[in-house]
Amino acid sequence: MNQPFPINSEPAQKLWRHFEQELDHKLKNLPPAERQDIMLEILSHLYESANHDPAATEENRLINAMERLGSPDEYLTPLVSDILLNLKTKSGNPLAIIKSLAANVQRSLLQTLASIIIGVLYFFIVMIFIMSIMHLFKPEVGLWIHQTGGVSLSFEAQENSTQWLPQWFTIIGLIVSISSYLMLNNVLYRLLRKQ
Amino acid sequence: MLFCAKNFQMSLNSQEIINRWMPQFRKGLLEFIILLKLQQGKIYGYELAVEIKKLTSIDVAEGTLYPLLNRLKRDQLVTSEWQTAETGTPRKYYQITDFGVETLQQMKQVWTDTHSSILNMVMQS
Repeated sequence: MNQPFPINSEPAQKLWRHFEQELDHKLKNLPPAERQDIMLEILSHLYESANHDPAATEENRLINAMERLGSPDEYLTPLVSDILLNLKTKSGNPLAIIKSLAANVQRSLLQTLASIIIGVLYFFIVMIFIMSIMHLFKPEVGLWIHQTGGVSLSFEAQENSTQWLPQWFTIIGLIVSISSYLMLNNVLYRLLRKQ
Repeated sequence: MLFCAKNFQMSLNSQEIINRWMPQFRKGLLEFIILLKLQQGKIYGYELAVEIKKLTSIDVAEGTLYPLLNRLKRDQLVTSEWQTAETGTPRKYYQITDFGVETLQQMKQVWTDTHSSILNMVMQS
């Protein structure tokens, strides 16, 4: 693969090999002909782009070209899943279709997971806030420590359990819920801005 | 929650909103721009990326053109073939098909209509 793209310096050769390996790994699910075709096209792009870069050293020209190309995940994930879906749909194999759809879903899996975690955290924060207020009118609402060592937030008095700091529960609950709420807003705000 | 949502809006100034909106707006036009460029003649990936940046100031990661080119090829709007440059570098050239030209004509019509409608709205605002 290196033959049509002569790289002279040792550091640049190392970078090139590393990039080639990364491409090979990301394209491993494709049939060999498709994999070779895409690899050659991306490497050709990288080589041309590096050759037109004004940086002084070969490795810096290569690094700049890689930056302009973007993260391989960004362009190879949609490319691979699209090709797979197309190939598998043609073949009509339902398992293969599900596999390629799963590859598509994989990309957004982390975002979905983050949304679920943030949603659950918001739920707990709101619960703690409500319980802190309720504790003023119904003292048994609070945090209960069981004899087994377990802990639970409860609206009712728990048998064989001790209530944790009943006189401070409202104050601590309000401080914890409001500060957690603001912190979580901040995290969510940063995530949204990033998108 | 409402207080928080309001805060989000207030902390983004209009330049930040424009900076966020602009790439999305431009990326949506990329397939159209690629076909327009291909109508002028066959072109290979790197050259296409450079031309798009030069003509439209779209600062898009160059690699993201490849999923689009693949989609255009799958839809039979373009074809591709490998050629070797004088320097020996293999280049994959893309060429618009007759079906691609036909589809592009319709895209141009949609673009002209949309552009006129939006321009009217801008002028009236």
